[in-house]
Amino acid sequence: MERKDYLQTPVKHIKIDGVQTVDQLMRQFKSSGALGAGRLATACDIYEKMLKDKDCTVFLALSGTVVPAGMRTIVTDLIRKKLVDVIVSTGACMVHDAIEAIGGHHYIGSPAVNDAELYRYHLFRIYDIFVPEEDYVKLDLTLSRMYDDIAQEHKGESLASNEFSWEIGKRLTDKNSILRAAYEENIPIFLPAVRDSEFGFIHWLHAAQEKQKPILQLDAFKDVPTICGICAKSPKNGMIVIGGGMPRNTIQSSALASKKGLDYGIVITLDRPETGGLSGSTLEETVSWGKMKGEADHVMVIGEALMVFPFLVASVTERLGPSFNRTPFIQFGKTSGKRS
Amino acid sequence: MGNASTEKYCGNCDSHNSYSYPKQVFCSTRYAQNLNPIVDTLWHCGNWNQVSQECYCVREALRNKNVSLVTEH
Repeated sequence: MERKDYLQTPVKHIKIDGVQTVDQLMRQFKSSGALGAGRLATACDIYEKMLKDKDCTVFLALSGTVVPAGMRTIVTDLIRKKLVDVIVSTGACMVHDAIEAIGGHHYIGSPAVNDAELYRYHLFRIYDIFVPEEDYVKLDLTLSRMYDDIAQEHKGESLASNEFSWEIGKRLTDKNSILRAAYEENIPIFLPAVRDSEFGFIHWLHAAQEKQKPILQLDAFKDVPTICGICAKSPKNGMIVIGGGMPRNTIQSSALASKKGLDYGIVITLDRPETGGLSGSTLEETVSWGKMKGEADHVMVIGEALMVFPFLVASVTERLGPSFNRTPFIQFGKTSGKRS
Repeated sequence: MGNASTEKYCGNCDSHNSYSYPKQVFCSTRYAQNLNPIVDTLWHCGNWNQVSQECYCVREALRNKNVSLVTEH
Protein backbone atom coordinates (compact mmCIF):
# COMPACT_ATOMS: atom_id res chain seq x y z
CA MET A 1 0.00 0.00 0.00
CA GLU A 2 1.12 3.50 -0.76
CA ARG A 3 0.33 6.56 1.37
CA LYS A 4 -2.41 7.82 -0.97
CA ASP A 5 -4.20 4.45 -0.76
CA TYR A 6 -5.00 5.15 2.87
CA LEU A 7 -6.73 8.42 2.00
CA GLN A 8 -9.23 7.38 -0.64
CA THR A 9 -12.60 8.16 0.97
CA PRO A 10 -13.19 11.21 3.18
CA VAL A 11 -15.67 10.93 6.05
CA LYS A 12 -18.85 12.75 5.10
CA HIS A 13 -20.75 14.50 7.85
CA ILE A 14 -24.13 13.08 8.74
CA LYS A 15 -26.89 15.37 7.51
CA ILE A 16 -30.10 14.96 9.47
CA ASP A 17 -32.00 17.76 7.73
CA GLY A 18 -34.26 16.09 5.18
CA VAL A 19 -33.91 12.60 6.65
CA GLN A 20 -37.38 11.13 7.01
CA THR A 21 -36.91 7.39 7.00
CA VAL A 22 -34.71 4.83 8.68
CA ASP A 23 -32.96 3.91 5.46
CA GLN A 24 -32.29 7.54 4.63
CA LEU A 25 -30.53 7.83 7.98
CA MET A 26 -28.69 4.57 7.31
CA ARG A 27 -27.37 5.98 4.04
CA GLN A 28 -26.07 8.97 5.99
CA PHE A 29 -24.36 6.51 8.33
CA LYS A 30 -22.79 4.88 5.29
CA SER A 31 -21.50 8.24 4.06
CA SER A 32 -19.83 8.75 7.40
CA GLY A 33 -18.57 5.20 7.27
CA ALA A 34 -17.00 5.51 10.68
CA LEU A 35 -17.27 3.53 13.90
CA GLY A 36 -20.57 1.90 14.86
CA ALA A 37 -22.60 3.87 12.33
CA GLY A 38 -20.34 2.69 9.53
CA ARG A 39 -20.49 -0.91 10.69
CA LEU A 40 -24.28 -0.84 11.00
CA ALA A 41 -24.58 0.60 7.48
CA THR A 42 -22.30 -2.18 6.23
CA ALA A 43 -24.48 -4.75 8.00
CA CYS A 44 -27.50 -3.38 6.13
CA ASP A 45 -25.68 -3.67 2.80
CA ILE A 46 -24.67 -7.27 3.58
CA TYR A 47 -28.16 -8.33 4.67
CA GLU A 48 -29.66 -6.74 1.54
CA LYS A 49 -27.10 -8.63 -0.56
CA MET A 50 -27.90 -11.90 1.21
CA LEU A 51 -31.61 -11.50 0.51
CA LYS A 52 -31.08 -10.62 -3.15
CA ASP A 53 -28.69 -13.54 -3.65
CA LYS A 54 -30.99 -16.30 -4.93
CA ASP A 55 -28.43 -18.95 -3.94
CA CYS A 56 -28.12 -17.89 -0.30
CA THR A 57 -29.75 -19.52 2.68
CA VAL A 58 -30.10 -17.03 5.55
CA PHE A 59 -29.47 -18.35 9.07
CA LEU A 60 -30.54 -16.27 12.08
CA ALA A 61 -28.91 -16.99 15.45
CA LEU A 62 -30.87 -15.89 18.50
CA SER A 63 -29.57 -15.61 22.04
CA GLY A 64 -30.11 -13.36 25.04
CA THR A 65 -33.14 -11.17 25.59
CA VAL A 66 -34.58 -11.03 22.08
CA VAL A 67 -38.15 -11.65 23.24
CA PRO A 68 -38.16 -10.06 26.72
CA ALA A 69 -36.69 -6.86 25.27
CA GLY A 70 -39.40 -6.60 22.62
CA MET A 71 -37.99 -8.01 19.35
CA ARG A 72 -40.33 -10.98 19.10
CA THR A 73 -42.53 -9.47 16.39
CA ILE A 74 -39.51 -8.46 14.32
CA VAL A 75 -38.42 -12.10 14.17
CA THR A 76 -41.96 -13.33 13.50
CA ASP A 77 -42.34 -10.85 10.63
CA LEU A 78 -39.00 -11.95 9.14
CA ILE A 79 -40.23 -15.54 9.19
CA ARG A 80 -43.57 -14.68 7.59
CA LYS A 81 -41.94 -12.51 4.90
CA LYS A 82 -39.38 -15.26 4.18
CA LEU A 83 -36.49 -12.98 5.03
CA VAL A 84 -34.86 -15.69 7.14
CA ASP A 85 -34.69 -19.39 6.22
CA VAL A 86 -33.32 -21.17 9.29
CA ILE A 87 -33.28 -20.15 12.95
CA VAL A 88 -30.81 -21.44 15.51
CA SER A 89 -31.72 -20.33 19.00
CA THR A 90 -30.98 -20.83 22.64
CA GLY A 91 -33.72 -22.78 24.35
CA ALA A 92 -34.35 -19.73 26.54
CA CYS A 93 -35.29 -17.46 23.61
CA MET A 94 -38.01 -19.89 22.56
CA VAL A 95 -39.12 -20.33 26.17
CA HIS A 96 -39.59 -16.54 26.35
CA ASP A 97 -41.59 -16.76 23.12
CA ALA A 98 -43.75 -19.58 24.47
CA ILE A 99 -44.41 -17.66 27.71
CA GLU A 100 -45.92 -14.80 25.70
CA ALA A 101 -47.69 -17.24 23.36
CA ILE A 102 -49.76 -18.55 26.27
CA GLY A 103 -50.59 -15.09 27.62
CA GLY A 104 -47.61 -14.23 29.80
CA HIS A 105 -45.75 -10.93 29.68
CA HIS A 106 -42.39 -9.35 30.31
CA TYR A 107 -42.52 -6.05 32.20
CA ILE A 108 -40.47 -2.86 32.14
CA GLY A 109 -38.40 -2.88 35.33
CA SER A 110 -35.15 -1.52 36.68
CA PRO A 111 -31.77 -2.90 37.69
CA ALA A 112 -31.89 -0.69 40.79
CA VAL A 113 -34.09 -2.94 42.87
CA ASN A 114 -33.90 -5.19 45.91
CA ASP A 115 -33.47 -8.61 44.31
CA ALA A 116 -34.09 -10.42 47.59
CA GLU A 117 -37.48 -8.70 47.69
CA LEU A 118 -38.16 -9.67 44.07
CA TYR A 119 -37.44 -13.27 45.08
CA ARG A 120 -39.99 -13.04 47.89
CA TYR A 121 -42.57 -11.68 45.46
CA HIS A 122 -41.79 -14.51 43.00
CA LEU A 123 -40.56 -12.07 40.37
CA PHE A 124 -37.57 -12.76 38.13
CA ARG A 125 -35.28 -10.04 36.76
CA ILE A 126 -33.52 -9.89 33.40
CA TYR A 127 -31.50 -6.69 33.91
CA ASP A 128 -34.26 -4.07 33.66
CA ILE A 129 -37.05 -6.44 32.68
CA PHE A 130 -39.26 -8.33 35.13
CA VAL A 131 -41.21 -11.52 34.59
CA PRO A 132 -43.56 -13.09 37.15
CA GLU A 133 -42.84 -16.65 38.22
CA GLU A 134 -46.44 -17.66 37.53
CA ASP A 135 -45.90 -17.04 33.82
CA TYR A 136 -43.12 -19.63 33.92
CA VAL A 137 -45.23 -21.98 36.03
CA LYS A 138 -48.17 -21.73 33.65
CA LEU A 139 -45.78 -22.48 30.80
CA ASP A 140 -44.39 -25.42 32.77
CA LEU A 141 -47.85 -26.89 33.12
CA THR A 142 -48.65 -26.28 29.45
CA LEU A 143 -45.35 -27.74 28.30
CA SER A 144 -45.60 -30.76 30.53
CA ARG A 145 -48.99 -31.58 28.99
CA MET A 146 -47.57 -30.94 25.52
CA TYR A 147 -44.67 -33.29 26.31
CA ASP A 148 -47.18 -35.98 27.35
CA ASP A 149 -48.99 -35.50 24.05
CA ILE A 150 -45.85 -35.39 21.87
CA ALA A 151 -44.39 -38.48 23.56
CA GLN A 152 -47.67 -40.31 23.04
CA GLU A 153 -47.81 -39.28 19.40
CA HIS A 154 -44.21 -40.33 18.72
CA LYS A 155 -44.49 -43.49 20.84
CA GLY A 156 -41.20 -42.82 22.61
CA GLU A 157 -39.26 -42.15 19.40
CA SER A 158 -36.44 -39.62 19.92
CA LEU A 159 -36.88 -36.20 18.36
CA ALA A 160 -34.27 -33.83 16.98
CA SER A 161 -34.31 -30.29 18.40
CA ASN A 162 -35.90 -28.90 15.20
CA GLU A 163 -38.60 -31.56 15.36
CA PHE A 164 -39.19 -30.65 19.01
CA SER A 165 -39.61 -26.93 18.24
CA TRP A 166 -41.90 -27.83 15.32
CA GLU A 167 -44.10 -29.90 17.67
CA ILE A 168 -44.29 -27.06 20.21
CA GLY A 169 -45.11 -24.54 17.46
CA LYS A 170 -47.84 -26.83 16.18
CA ARG A 171 -49.50 -26.75 19.59
CA LEU A 172 -49.36 -22.97 20.09
CA THR A 173 -52.10 -20.78 18.65
CA ASP A 174 -50.60 -17.28 18.98
CA LYS A 175 -49.94 -15.92 15.46
CA ASN A 176 -47.29 -13.57 16.88
CA SER A 177 -45.29 -16.46 18.28
CA ILE A 178 -41.91 -17.19 16.67
CA LEU A 179 -42.45 -20.91 17.21
CA ARG A 180 -45.94 -20.79 15.70
CA ALA A 181 -44.87 -18.67 12.72
CA ALA A 182 -41.96 -21.02 12.04
CA TYR A 183 -44.31 -24.01 12.19
CA GLU A 184 -46.75 -22.38 9.76
CA GLU A 185 -44.06 -21.15 7.36
CA ASN A 186 -41.94 -24.35 7.50
CA ILE A 187 -38.89 -22.60 8.92
CA PRO A 188 -36.78 -24.98 11.02
CA ILE A 189 -35.77 -23.81 14.49
CA PHE A 190 -32.74 -25.66 15.84
CA LEU A 191 -32.21 -25.57 19.59
CA PRO A 192 -28.70 -26.92 20.24
CA ALA A 193 -28.93 -26.02 23.93
CA VAL A 194 -32.52 -27.06 24.43
CA ARG A 195 -31.80 -28.78 27.74
CA ASP A 196 -30.25 -25.64 29.22
CA SER A 197 -33.58 -23.85 29.44
CA GLU A 198 -37.04 -24.31 30.90
CA PHE A 199 -37.64 -26.76 28.03
CA GLY A 200 -35.03 -29.02 29.61
CA PHE A 201 -35.86 -28.61 33.24
CA ILE A 202 -39.60 -29.04 32.72
CA HIS A 203 -38.81 -32.45 31.30
CA TRP A 204 -38.14 -33.41 34.92
CA LEU A 205 -41.72 -32.46 35.82
CA HIS A 206 -43.09 -34.34 32.82
CA ALA A 207 -41.04 -37.45 33.57
CA ALA A 208 -41.70 -37.35 37.34
CA GLN A 209 -45.42 -37.99 36.93
CA GLU A 210 -46.48 -41.35 38.32
CA LYS A 211 -47.24 -43.90 35.60
CA GLN A 212 -46.11 -41.40 32.93
CA LYS A 213 -45.37 -43.42 29.80
CA PRO A 214 -43.96 -42.84 27.33
CA ILE A 215 -41.44 -40.15 28.28
CA LEU A 216 -40.53 -37.53 25.68
CA GLN A 217 -37.08 -38.32 24.27
CA LEU A 218 -34.76 -35.86 22.52
CA ASP A 219 -31.64 -36.88 20.63
CA ALA A 220 -28.93 -34.19 20.85
CA PHE A 221 -27.12 -35.52 17.77
CA LYS A 222 -30.09 -36.13 15.48
CA ASP A 223 -30.24 -32.57 14.09
CA VAL A 224 -26.55 -32.47 13.11
CA PRO A 225 -26.96 -34.11 9.69
CA THR A 226 -30.08 -31.99 9.08
CA ILE A 227 -28.45 -28.61 9.63
CA CYS A 228 -25.20 -29.67 7.93
CA GLY A 229 -27.32 -30.97 5.05
CA ILE A 230 -28.95 -27.55 4.68
CA CYS A 231 -25.53 -25.88 4.45
CA ALA A 232 -24.30 -28.51 1.99
CA LYS A 233 -27.35 -28.26 -0.25
CA SER A 234 -27.38 -24.47 -0.34
CA PRO A 235 -24.91 -22.94 -2.83
CA LYS A 236 -24.27 -20.07 -0.41
CA ASN A 237 -24.86 -19.56 3.29
CA GLY A 238 -25.15 -16.39 5.33
CA MET A 239 -25.69 -15.76 9.03
CA ILE A 240 -27.00 -12.95 11.17
CA VAL A 241 -26.10 -13.40 14.82
CA ILE A 242 -27.77 -11.70 17.74
CA GLY A 243 -25.43 -12.25 20.66
CA GLY A 244 -23.41 -15.39 20.09
CA GLY A 245 -22.88 -18.54 22.11
CA MET A 246 -24.10 -21.91 20.97
CA PRO A 247 -26.44 -20.65 18.19
CA ARG A 248 -23.58 -18.81 16.47
CA ASN A 249 -21.23 -21.77 16.88
CA THR A 250 -23.82 -24.21 15.55
CA ILE A 251 -24.22 -22.25 12.32
CA GLN A 252 -20.49 -21.73 11.87
CA SER A 253 -19.63 -25.35 12.62
CA SER A 254 -22.34 -26.59 10.27
CA ALA A 255 -20.84 -24.44 7.52
CA LEU A 256 -17.44 -25.95 8.31
CA ALA A 257 -18.62 -29.57 8.58
CA SER A 258 -20.42 -29.29 5.26
CA LYS A 259 -17.17 -28.03 3.67
CA LYS A 260 -18.88 -24.84 2.56
CA GLY A 261 -17.82 -21.97 4.78
CA LEU A 262 -20.11 -18.99 5.20
CA ASP A 263 -20.41 -16.47 2.36
CA TYR A 264 -21.95 -13.71 4.47
CA GLY A 265 -21.69 -12.91 8.17
CA ILE A 266 -23.21 -10.27 10.43
CA VAL A 267 -22.65 -10.44 14.17
CA ILE A 268 -24.29 -8.04 16.63
CA THR A 269 -22.64 -8.34 20.00
CA LEU A 270 -21.16 -6.53 22.97
CA ASP A 271 -18.79 -9.39 23.75
CA ARG A 272 -15.04 -8.95 23.49
CA PRO A 273 -12.56 -11.12 21.58
CA GLU A 274 -9.77 -11.02 24.18
CA THR A 275 -11.30 -13.76 26.34
CA GLY A 276 -11.01 -16.32 23.56
CA GLY A 277 -14.71 -17.09 23.91
CA LEU A 278 -16.73 -17.61 20.74
CA SER A 279 -19.33 -14.89 21.25
CA GLY A 280 -16.80 -12.07 21.02
CA SER A 281 -14.47 -13.72 18.54
CA THR A 282 -13.90 -11.72 15.40
CA LEU A 283 -15.19 -12.96 12.07
CA GLU A 284 -11.59 -12.87 10.81
CA GLU A 285 -10.84 -15.51 13.48
CA THR A 286 -13.76 -17.51 12.07
CA VAL A 287 -12.04 -17.46 8.68
CA SER A 288 -9.00 -19.18 10.20
CA TRP A 289 -11.18 -22.20 11.02
CA GLY A 290 -12.72 -22.36 7.56
CA LYS A 291 -16.13 -21.59 9.05
CA MET A 292 -16.32 -18.45 6.94
CA LYS A 293 -14.73 -17.86 3.57
CA GLY A 294 -11.87 -15.39 3.40
CA GLU A 295 -13.69 -13.36 0.76
CA ALA A 296 -17.03 -13.40 2.62
CA ASP A 297 -18.87 -10.12 3.15
CA HIS A 298 -18.84 -9.71 6.89
CA VAL A 299 -19.11 -7.21 9.71
CA MET A 300 -19.33 -7.20 13.48
CA VAL A 301 -21.57 -4.51 14.90
CA ILE A 302 -20.50 -3.81 18.45
CA GLY A 303 -23.70 -2.80 20.12
CA GLU A 304 -26.77 -3.86 22.01
CA ALA A 305 -29.02 -5.88 19.72
CA LEU A 306 -32.18 -4.04 20.79
CA MET A 307 -30.70 -0.80 19.42
CA VAL A 308 -29.10 -2.35 16.34
CA PHE A 309 -31.31 -5.14 14.99
CA PRO A 310 -34.53 -3.09 14.54
CA PHE A 311 -32.56 -0.48 12.52
CA LEU A 312 -30.99 -3.24 10.43
CA VAL A 313 -34.33 -4.84 9.61
CA ALA A 314 -36.18 -1.54 9.10
CA SER A 315 -33.51 -0.19 6.76
CA VAL A 316 -33.26 -3.32 4.64
CA THR A 317 -37.00 -3.94 4.36
CA GLU A 318 -37.43 -0.29 3.34
CA ARG A 319 -34.86 -0.76 0.58
CA LEU A 320 -36.50 -3.94 -0.64
CA GLY A 321 -39.95 -2.37 -0.69
CA PRO A 322 -43.32 -4.03 -0.17
CA SER A 323 -43.27 -5.77 -3.56
CA PHE A 324 -40.06 -7.71 -2.85
CA ASN A 325 -40.88 -11.38 -3.01
CA ARG A 326 -38.13 -13.76 -2.04
CA THR A 327 -38.10 -17.45 -2.87
CA PRO A 328 -35.76 -19.31 -0.51
CA PHE A 329 -33.28 -21.62 -2.22
CA ILE A 330 -34.31 -24.50 0.03
CA GLN A 331 -38.00 -25.18 0.52
CA PHE A 332 -38.64 -27.07 3.72
CA GLY A 333 -41.38 -29.67 3.93
CA LYS A 334 -44.30 -29.87 6.34
CA THR A 335 -43.30 -33.01 8.16
CA SER A 336 -41.16 -32.32 11.16
CA GLY A 337 -38.85 -35.25 10.77
CA LYS A 338 -38.18 -34.96 7.04
CA ARG A 339 -36.81 -31.50 6.51
CA SER A 340 -33.42 -31.85 4.90
CA MET B 1 -42.41 -12.55 58.02
CA GLY B 2 -44.35 -12.47 61.30
CA ASN B 3 -46.05 -15.64 62.48
CA ALA B 4 -46.70 -16.82 58.97
CA SER B 5 -43.52 -18.85 58.69
CA THR B 6 -44.14 -20.82 61.92
CA GLU B 7 -47.36 -22.36 60.67
CA LYS B 8 -47.70 -24.96 57.93
CA TYR B 9 -49.07 -23.62 54.69
CA CYS B 10 -48.60 -24.57 51.05
CA GLY B 11 -47.20 -21.07 50.63
CA ASN B 12 -44.23 -21.86 52.86
CA CYS B 13 -43.73 -25.44 51.72
CA ASP B 14 -40.70 -26.27 49.58
CA SER B 15 -42.90 -27.83 46.88
CA HIS B 16 -44.56 -24.54 46.01
CA ASN B 17 -44.18 -22.10 43.15
CA SER B 18 -46.31 -19.08 42.48
CA TYR B 19 -49.39 -19.74 40.36
CA SER B 20 -51.88 -16.94 41.08
CA TYR B 21 -50.01 -14.73 43.50
CA PRO B 22 -50.68 -14.71 46.41
CA LYS B 23 -53.88 -16.74 46.41
CA GLN B 24 -52.82 -19.99 44.76
CA VAL B 25 -49.60 -21.93 44.37
CA PHE B 26 -48.42 -24.73 42.12
CA CYS B 27 -47.40 -27.89 43.98
CA SER B 28 -44.84 -30.03 42.14
CA THR B 29 -45.34 -32.96 44.54
CA ARG B 30 -49.06 -33.14 43.76
CA TYR B 31 -48.32 -32.82 40.05
CA ALA B 32 -46.01 -35.83 40.22
CA GLN B 33 -48.79 -37.73 42.02
CA ASN B 34 -51.29 -36.87 39.25
CA LEU B 35 -53.31 -34.76 41.70
CA ASN B 36 -54.55 -31.23 40.97
CA PRO B 37 -51.34 -29.21 41.47
CA ILE B 38 -53.08 -25.84 41.91
CA VAL B 39 -53.83 -25.36 45.61
CA ASP B 40 -54.66 -22.50 47.95
CA THR B 41 -51.64 -20.79 49.45
CA LEU B 42 -53.12 -21.18 52.94
CA TRP B 43 -53.79 -24.92 52.62
CA HIS B 44 -51.33 -27.67 53.53
CA CYS B 45 -51.04 -31.46 53.43
CA GLY B 46 -49.07 -34.25 55.07
CA ASN B 47 -46.14 -33.86 52.67
CA TRP B 48 -45.35 -30.35 53.93
CA ASN B 49 -41.67 -29.42 54.16
CA GLN B 50 -40.35 -26.05 55.29
CA VAL B 51 -39.23 -23.92 52.36
CA SER B 52 -35.52 -23.06 52.43
CA GLN B 53 -35.89 -19.46 51.23
CA GLU B 54 -38.99 -17.72 52.51
CA CYS B 55 -41.25 -15.63 50.33
CA TYR B 56 -44.23 -13.31 50.79
CA CYS B 57 -46.91 -15.76 49.65
CA VAL B 58 -48.26 -16.60 53.10
CA ARG B 59 -47.92 -13.06 54.46
CA GLU B 60 -49.81 -11.58 51.52
CA ALA B 61 -52.42 -14.34 51.37
CA LEU B 62 -53.13 -13.86 55.10
CA ARG B 63 -53.33 -10.10 54.63
CA ASN B 64 -55.79 -10.50 51.75
CA LYS B 65 -57.84 -12.98 53.79
CA ASN B 66 -57.99 -10.55 56.72
CA VAL B 67 -58.98 -7.71 54.42
CA SER B 68 -61.79 -9.76 52.94
CA LEU B 69 -62.96 -10.80 56.44
CA VAL B 70 -63.06 -7.15 57.51
CA THR B 71 -64.91 -6.25 54.32
CA GLU B 72 -67.49 -8.97 54.97
CA HIS B 73 -68.20 -7.53 58.42
